[in-house]
Parts: sequence; C-alpha cells; structure tokens
Amino acid sequence: MIISFIRKIIIALFSVLIVYLFYMQCVRGEYYQDLAKMNRIRLLPLSGPRGNIYDRDGNLLAGNRLAFDCVVMPQEFYPDHKALEELGRLLNKSASVLKDEIRENTIAPFVPMVIKDDVAKELAIAISEKSLDLPGLLIQTRSVRYYPHKNMGSHVIGYLGKINEDELYALSDYGYKAMDHVGRGGLESFYDSYLKGEEGGIQAEVDSRGRELRQLGIKEPEKGKDITTTIDLELEAHIDSLMEGERGAAIVMSSETGEILALVSKPDFDPNIFVSALKPDSIKILLGRSDYPMIDRAISGAYPPGSVFKLVTSSAALDMKRMSLHDQLNCPGFYMLGKWRFNCWKDDGHGTETIIDGIKNSCNVFFYQVGRKAGVDGLAAYAVKYGMGRNSGIDLPYESAGTVPTRAWKLYRMRQSWFEGDTVNYAIGQGYLLVTPIQILRMTNAVGTEGILVKPFLVRKIGGLEVKGAERRRLDISKETFRTIKEGMKRAVDDPSGTAKAARAKGLSVAGKTGTAEAGPKGTHAWFTGFSPADKPQFSLVVFLEYGGKGGDKPAKMASSIFAKLKELGYL
Amino acid sequence: MYRINYRKNFDLFLIILPLIIVSAGLLFLYSASHGIYESNGTNFAHRQAMWLLAGIVMLVIIVNMDFRRILDWSYLCYGIMALMLLVLLFAGGARMGAKRWFSIGWLTFQPSEFAKIILIMVLAFYIGNNRHAIRTIKGLITPFLLAGVLFLLIIKEPDLGSALILLAILFIMLLVSEMPVKYMAGLVIAGVASSPFLWNFLKEYQKRRLLVFINPNMDPLGAGYTIIQSKIAIGSGGLFGRGFLGGTQNQLNFLPESHTDFIFAVIGEEWGFAGVLLVVFLFVFLISRILSVAERTNDFYGKLVVMGVAGMLAFQVIVNIAMTVGLMPVVGIPLPFVSYGGSSLIMNFIAIALVINIDMHRTLF
Repeated sequence: MIISFIRKIIIALFSVLIVYLFYMQCVRGEYYQDLAKMNRIRLLPLSGPRGNIYDRDGNLLAGNRLAFDCVVMPQEFYPDHKALEELGRLLNKSASVLKDEIRENTIAPFVPMVIKDDVAKELAIAISEKSLDLPGLLIQTRSVRYYPHKNMGSHVIGYLGKINEDELYALSDYGYKAMDHVGRGGLESFYDSYLKGEEGGIQAEVDSRGRELRQLGIKEPEKGKDITTTIDLELEAHIDSLMEGERGAAIVMSSETGEILALVSKPDFDPNIFVSALKPDSIKILLGRSDYPMIDRAISGAYPPGSVFKLVTSSAALDMKRMSLHDQLNCPGFYMLGKWRFNCWKDDGHGTETIIDGIKNSCNVFFYQVGRKAGVDGLAAYAVKYGMGRNSGIDLPYESAGTVPTRAWKLYRMRQSWFEGDTVNYAIGQGYLLVTPIQILRMTNAVGTEGILVKPFLVRKIGGLEVKGAERRRLDISKETFRTIKEGMKRAVDDPSGTAKAARAKGLSVAGKTGTAEAGPKGTHAWFTGFSPADKPQFSLVVFLEYGGKGGDKPAKMASSIFAKLKELGYL
Repeated sequence: MYRINYRKNFDLFLIILPLIIVSAGLLFLYSASHGIYESNGTNFAHRQAMWLLAGIVMLVIIVNMDFRRILDWSYLCYGIMALMLLVLLFAGGARMGAKRWFSIGWLTFQPSEFAKIILIMVLAFYIGNNRHAIRTIKGLITPFLLAGVLFLLIIKEPDLGSALILLAILFIMLLVSEMPVKYMAGLVIAGVASSPFLWNFLKEYQKRRLLVFINPNMDPLGAGYTIIQSKIAIGSGGLFGRGFLGGTQNQLNFLPESHTDFIFAVIGEEWGFAGVLLVVFLFVFLISRILSVAERTNDFYGKLVVMGVAGMLAFQVIVNIAMTVGLMPVVGIPLPFVSYGGSSLIMNFIAIALVINIDMHRTLF
C-alpha cells in the first residue's frame, strides 16, 4: 500500500515536470529562441579611425597609432596563483591586486576585460608569448590618437576626451556612442564631426567565450576626414621654443587672407595624456595647475591691452577728425584732470609731439588728450570696428569676446555713470577694457593693410576639399588715418628712441607697437604687435606675455626673431 | 536452480531500460563533447562507453552473487566508506574547490556516489534485523546515526547534492519500514527546524546558489548564469528540438557543465519537448518497474533495498530535471545513467543489479 502511494507521488512529481517542460518549450519556445539568438549573435564594433591633422606642408600634427591592450577572457582564464604571479610580474602588479581587479571588473564570462591598456610594444610581445601558457590572456590592438609633437601646438590641435552624458544626449543622432572619444579643445573639437570616423561593425556568430566563429555580415568602418591646417610646423616650433617657460601667447597671421601660420599659447599640455587612461593622475595634476595650461591664452584669455590700444585711440581721433596729423600736444610728464594727476611712463615728459611721435614714444600724456578728444563713445565705436568686444570667428572653440566698455556698459555693470577719468584710462588701454591677443592681432593687421579686417582661420582643407577663404571686410576708416598710424608704428621700430626698436629684423621693414599694461600687484602684461613689410604687410603678429614686464623688451625681441624666421622660411 | 530462476523471474525491462537510457545518454554526451572548444581530445561519450562496460561487468557479478552475503558485508563496507570520506576530507585532491575525488593516474573515483548504495544496504540490514525496534524512538537512533555520519562527511566535501540524496534514501526507507506516522511527522518538523543549522554547513557558493534560486536575477552572470543558459537551451528546443548537434547553446558552449549536471538541457535543446518526454517516460517506466519488484518481493530486506534504489533514482531524476528548468536550486545532482561520470554510472548499475538480484531470488526466501 505504501509502495503504491509512493508510486503515485513519483508520477505526480514527474507530471509537474512534464507540464512545466511543455510550457517552456512549446508555449514559450519562441521567447527562449530569441534569447538563444541574442546569445550567439554579437555585433563587434569596428571603430573608424579619426582623420589626421596636418600642417600646411603635410607634416603630421595629429594621427593614429596602434595601442596594445592586455586583455583577459574571464571564462577562459582560470586565475590560479601561478598564472597570476606570472602575469603580475609582467604588469608590475601583485597577484592579489590582479585577482581582485579581475573579479571586480568582469562584466560577463565572454566579455573581454582590459587589465592593462596601452602597454608598451615590448611588453605586448612578452605577454603574447606568455599567453600560450596562460589561456584566456591575450593582446588586443586598437587605434588611438597620437600627437607626435606632444605639447607643441597643443592649443591649436586640441585633445580628446571620453564623451559625457550631455554630449551623448546632444550628439547621439549624429552617430556618437557611449565610450566614444570626442574632441575637447582646439581643432579636434571644432572639426570633430569631420575628423570623427564612421564606425563599422561585424555581425558575428560567437561562442560563449565571445570568440568569433563566423562572420554573418560586415560594414567597413570609414576613416574620418583628414584636415590640412594653415600652420607652419617649423614656424610654430620656432615660436614654441622662444616662448619656452613664459606665460602668454603669440600668433602669426597672413595679412591678406587671415591664415594663421602659428599660434602658441603657454603654458601648454601634452594632449597624449588624455588619450589613454594610462595616467588619470597626470590629467588631474594638469587640470589642477595654478597656471592653467589648458587655457588657450591666444583666444580665450582677456587682458588689458595697454598701449597697443593707442592705435585704436589714434584711429578714432584722426578718423573722426577730432585732430589732424599736424596737431601738436605737450607732455610734461603728467596730465591733470581736475585735481587728478595722470602720469606719463616717462617722468620728465616727452615735450611737444605730433601723433606720429606720440605713437613712436607711446606717450601716455599725449594719448590722454587724444582720448578725451575722441571721447568714450568714439573709443568704444572704433574698438568695436576693429573687432574688439566680440569673437574673431577663428575656427577654434572657447573664444572669449573680451570687454569693450561704454557709458551704458558701466551704468549697467557697475551702476555708476562714466567719468572723464575713465576715458583717460581707456585711451591708453587700461581700465575696464579687456581684449584677447587675437583681437589685437586683427586690429593691427587692419591698420597695416589699411582697412582689411580679416577673419582668422586655421583650416585650409577638409578631406580633399579646399576651404573657401575666410571673409574679409573693409573698414570705413580713411586711408590717411591708417597711413599716419603706420608711420608712427614704423618709427617706433626704426627710430633709435622708438619703444619697439627691439623688434627690428635684419633686411626687413617692420612696423610695431608695444604695450605694457598695468595688471595689479603682480606686475605688468607685456605686448608687442606689428607687421612686415611695414608699407604693405604680408604677415602680422602679436606677442603677449602675462606679467612679462615691458612690451619693448621680451615681446619685441621675440617678434624680431619671429620676423627673421619668416624671412628664413621664405615667407618674407 | 539459479538458471531456472533467472529465466523465470528476470524482468527484462530492468536491464533493457537502463541500456536504452545509457545509449541515449551517450548520444548527448557526444553532442556535449562536440562543442568546438573541447579540443583537448576529451570525448565524454567514448569514456562513458568504457565506464558502461565496467558497469555491465559489475552488474553481471552482482546479479550472480548471494544477496544475503552482500548484506552481511554492509557494515564492513560502511566502515571503509566512512574512512575513505574522512581521508578525502584531509587528503583529497582539490578539483573545482571540492574534495570529492580520489585520483589514481587518470582514473578518478568518487566515493560519495558509492556511499548512496552502501547506505541503502546498511539501512536495509539494520532495519531488517530490528524490524520492531524501528517503531520506537530508541530504535531510530541507529539509522539516523548511520545516515548522519555519511551526510556530514559528504556535505563537508562539499557535495550538497549527494548529501541530500542520502537524506532522501533514509526518508523513503523509513517510510517503507512502516515507521509510525507521528514519528514521520516529527521527522519532517525536525528537518525543517534544523535547516538553519544546516545552512551554516554550506559553502559560500552553495548559499549563493540557493539565494539565486529565490531571486535568479540577483547574480545573472555568476551563480545565476548556468541556470539562465540552461533555461534558454531547454526553452529554445521547442517541440521537436533543434536537431542533434544543432543546439547553439550547447555547441557554442554557452551552457556550462553540459556533460554532467546539465546534460538534460542538451536533450531539451536538441530533441525538444518530444525528446524530453521520451527520456522522462523511460525513467518513469524504469522506476515503476523497480517499484513493482518491491511490491512482489517477499523478502523484507530485499524490499527495503529495492525501495531505497527506487527512491534514490526518482529523487535524482526529479531534482536534476527540476534544477535544469529552474524549478529547484542548483545543488549538483547528476541525471542517472545519462550524466557523464564513471562512479555514478557504475553505482547505478550496481543498484540495478541489486534489484535484479532480489527479483530473481524473491521465491527463494
């Protein structure tokens, strides 16, 4: 009796199993078949390499190199102690650390796990040899961004970063995916959509270890478009070495077209460190530095221009006919505005000067008076005409517009009305006025070319296509005004008492203007801006040094050296 | 005398059914070894076929022995078994973190498989000799001790599956020996009450498996991985399966342990519902035949042994299938006659041999 009871129980239990099996296989069979399909078919992405960046002569500025990642297949890799020890010895890690890392980072038994990315080629070979004894250990290659000149030109070229959530949201329609790298600065960022390669993929049947068994379909990846810049690598290198150890920026531009031949911002950074997560610490150190190496001082830094602004003051007064070429003003070494005393940089004064002398001597007292003739509205209007207070439109991200103060601006921002003393300061490029080096360069270039305001640009070719020359505008300022100012700038260089005489370059005619801008207790910013040949400029440049002393010293000397290099390279 | 009894009393199904099941098992073992990455030369079907020969030899030997004499040896066998398990705990070769095997050259031997049949014999011997004592609590102490010692030694290995089978054997044999219902009820209550204590005996991974069973999504790539892959394999088999060697889950190695505890998933994937129905039917038929032997034998010792064997087989088949479809936690119980493993196969043939032996001699007693 008990046995027949047991028999019934056993048959009942088997019946339950049969019913459940029927449910799984016949009712929900399709569901499980889909799951099985998902198990075995995998899309293996093939990344399209980024386009290269070249200088104007085809020298590589940014390219791609092969990186070797040391990878473990969790399902295949049985981490016995001996294997871990051997691997640890190669990777310079302890066996226990390695074991923890493998355990923590395993996503799935068949998903390869990177235990050390971007290992040196020699190490990659050593690991490959070891992998015969250590199943599941292998070397995977991938293409990574590579900047052969390291720090040099880093602000122009830019760098890459892993795409963040906001960017992904905004860009996912354009083919960007999580874990993609996107341009984060410089041309890498500005031309990211061109440089970015098109991802391809292999639809493959894989085994449980994620190993490809059979290709079902393939979409070839496409390389991004190559970009040819206007940069001259040799000139860039020359300026880079001149600026070594400085803080500031220097830019060289073709006067007619606005092509940028060199753009240096110091301090700079090595864009390679952002590429592989090799040393996240070094990124942290870089971002934490108090001298802000990531800021492109040439276009993003806004500074008081100091005396280089006197070119704008001159333009305003002359063009508005508030004074003439022949008007003479006196400089006793100081200027009294009511009870307020404004000094000249030269204590015993410059005596009686015309505007050409005023520019040559960079005489403050002379320009206090010129500035008052032009008035705040005139100064602001001409500063805006020359492109200050707004972006130059250069093809780089994060450009700063600077500040061109007006009466309204002061009322709105400072809740104060404009004082005549503000105008006096304004005239010599001090006070609320803030400009970027590229704005000064544009302004100087407009003076040199007698009215051509160019839009500076860095890229001349995308893929095979020539980029249309950037826009140029003719300023409605009289030729006479420009010629007068140019004469002053020529004398500033040529005359033995000119403030910019250090900028002279052998065999070249140079016109220039220095600036030494008060910048608080830490000292003065030093400026030089100029062009050559002086009468019909082909190239303009600006040199700016943060807390760099006097514009007539280092910046002018650097400018001289840059002009000489331009000549040596055959540009002048 | 023997020959006559042999012809007259021998239920042919008792030998034919296991052989059919083993043959089907060989096919699936072949399929399980066919996975592209088992390239180290291991063909589980070939090896299992060798074990099959050994099993048949054991069967012939045991069928031709005197059943009474076999039972006389049971205490000795029990002592040797306990000793072996003890030695194993301290000296056994570690394989997959468990000390379950003795290795002599390429030959490995798993004592816990034989512990099952030895427990059946020793319990049958004791209960048969103390038929009335078993109705008292005092008389129950010895059977519990006999099962308990082996249980603790095996669960410590750790081999949760084999240990649970011992409990199942004890339970069904006590049931058959007509233990009073109140004791049986007490036993069930005691079993439930002691489960927290047993919990502490489990290894971390065993606890995780049990927890994963309660919530399979807790650890889909760790402990839950196997069960998920097994369900996909069985479910995707559909009505008629994906064909022999056609299952991607098995062939592409998504299914771990496909040649041992999860061989049923290979059957489900490649032969579908039709295949599993056939296999389940073969097992039900076999177990039913064994139960019939128990019903017709007059020998109390024999009845106990046969019921022990029936209970052991039924428990293993039901738990193994329930485990592969996700109805029970994964505890590591092979599918009798089908899963790869020499010790298990030989032990199952010994069990069948004992049943045949008892069936043949039933009129002698």
